[in-house]
Amino acid sequence: MEQPDAWHQTDQLDAAPGKGDPFAAAVRATRMAMIITNPRLPDNPIVYVNDAFLRMSGYTRSEVLGHNCRFLQGAQTDHGAVALIREAVEARTDIAIDILNYRKDGTPFWNALYLSPVADESGEVLFFFASQLDVTDRVDAHMQIQQEKDRFEAEVAKRTRDLTDALATQTMLVHEVDHRVKNNLQMIAALLAMQTRAITDPAARAAMEAMLTRVEALGTVHRRLYQSNNVERFDVAEFARDLANDLVRGSGRDRIRLHLDLETVEIPVAKAPPVALMMNELITNALKHAFPDDRPGRLSVTVAPDGTHVTIKIADDGVGMPVQAMEQRSFGKRLIGTLCRQLNASIAWMTNDPGTIVSIRLPREMAGGLEAP
Amino acid sequence: MTEPLRILVVEDEALILMQIEMMLEEAGHSVVGTAMTAGEAIALVHETRPELVLIDLRLGDGSSGLDVAHAVRDLGGITAAFMTANARALSDDMAGATAVIAKPFTGTVLEESLAYLEDCVRRPPPDALVPAGMRVAPAWLASFAQMRA
Repeated sequence: MEQPDAWHQTDQLDAAPGKGDPFAAAVRATRMAMIITNPRLPDNPIVYVNDAFLRMSGYTRSEVLGHNCRFLQGAQTDHGAVALIREAVEARTDIAIDILNYRKDGTPFWNALYLSPVADESGEVLFFFASQLDVTDRVDAHMQIQQEKDRFEAEVAKRTRDLTDALATQTMLVHEVDHRVKNNLQMIAALLAMQTRAITDPAARAAMEAMLTRVEALGTVHRRLYQSNNVERFDVAEFARDLANDLVRGSGRDRIRLHLDLETVEIPVAKAPPVALMMNELITNALKHAFPDDRPGRLSVTVAPDGTHVTIKIADDGVGMPVQAMEQRSFGKRLIGTLCRQLNASIAWMTNDPGTIVSIRLPREMAGGLEAP
Repeated sequence: MTEPLRILVVEDEALILMQIEMMLEEAGHSVVGTAMTAGEAIALVHETRPELVLIDLRLGDGSSGLDVAHAVRDLGGITAAFMTANARALSDDMAGATAVIAKPFTGTVLEESLAYLEDCVRRPPPDALVPAGMRVAPAWLASFAQMRA
């Protein structure tokens, strides 16, 4: 808006009003379309219009003078923009706004309108001065960019939706497969458990029970895997807790105390089944051989990270490993040996004095895989 | 054990149903009925009025164990526990059931879960330990804690 004392500047020019007034001459000659309206007359009509306005709008001077500016509006003119201009006029304030106007021949153009009140010394608004600039090219370019952006965003939103749907489908499938795996493991355990009950031969029965325990250990792996939110990593410590408790309590040996020293170590899920089977063999072995004749004792299970490796220790204070048992080519022993090869693990059988310690050390990550996080 | 529990088993996998039945009977309980669908189960709940209902979440004919649990809750005075490979699908209220036993369970976990549920029915609050793979509904845990206080 004009500074309150700005109008004094014209006094210093000492120029006569009319044709010699340099300001009026400038307004008359400029290529910027300009009009002046008189808000003190009914309906705020146009009282001055320059040639640039007539060229831009296509109207003649007589068609414009005495009319309110609203003849510039048309079908697509934004009502909100019109309302803002009306509010500015009523509030006697200035406004700059882009509005869609129409020429006499009906063609639309984007009008960068600048409207400003002109007040006298008492503050009463005598005129509104409006300048108009055809910015159709600029607005069109802007709208084109906006349309491109909208189209692009819609495309991105659609792709995101498609991907989200695909992921949901995949998650559902994983859950379905997981559900079936767990149910099938339960069914295999059920078969073994029921068949075992029907066997009277103690050796055959013991073999069946050992098989059932192995299947149950794999079942525990799967239960644990999908209890955690992480489907890629497997916590050996939490598994060891479940497995050792289950095996010791399931043995019915009340006089064997279980001691757990467990530190969280995560391994890739692919390593979980062989690790689980190995631990199952070692704990079962200790329960079976270390404490004969209901001998009391202590069984301890340790899981600890060891740099890029994990150490698992099963220690008992029982009768110690008889030499024959150490060298026996039993199925359990062969299983442990082959699992070690699969896991790239080293295994050491040591005397605990009394009892036995079995210590396994295996790399935490897959061969050639990523570093431990 | 004071007195055998009267148990209804709701499970649509024949092998698992047989195993549970066998283990319950070996533990000295009485299986008053078995059902493979929610409809069958709800009818049997009304007919046999068991003390404990063991419910699989996914049942035959595409029916849901949740409907069985709701029927049990509406009837009142019957303890219910889910046995499912989809334990995470259960909300905390477990449709009024006391606990959920995650499949696959080991024989030991099943025995220990039964000991806990037997305590729930016969001498609440339960003293038995909660085995790995069994989750007790928070509302029931709270009410057991209140009984102990």
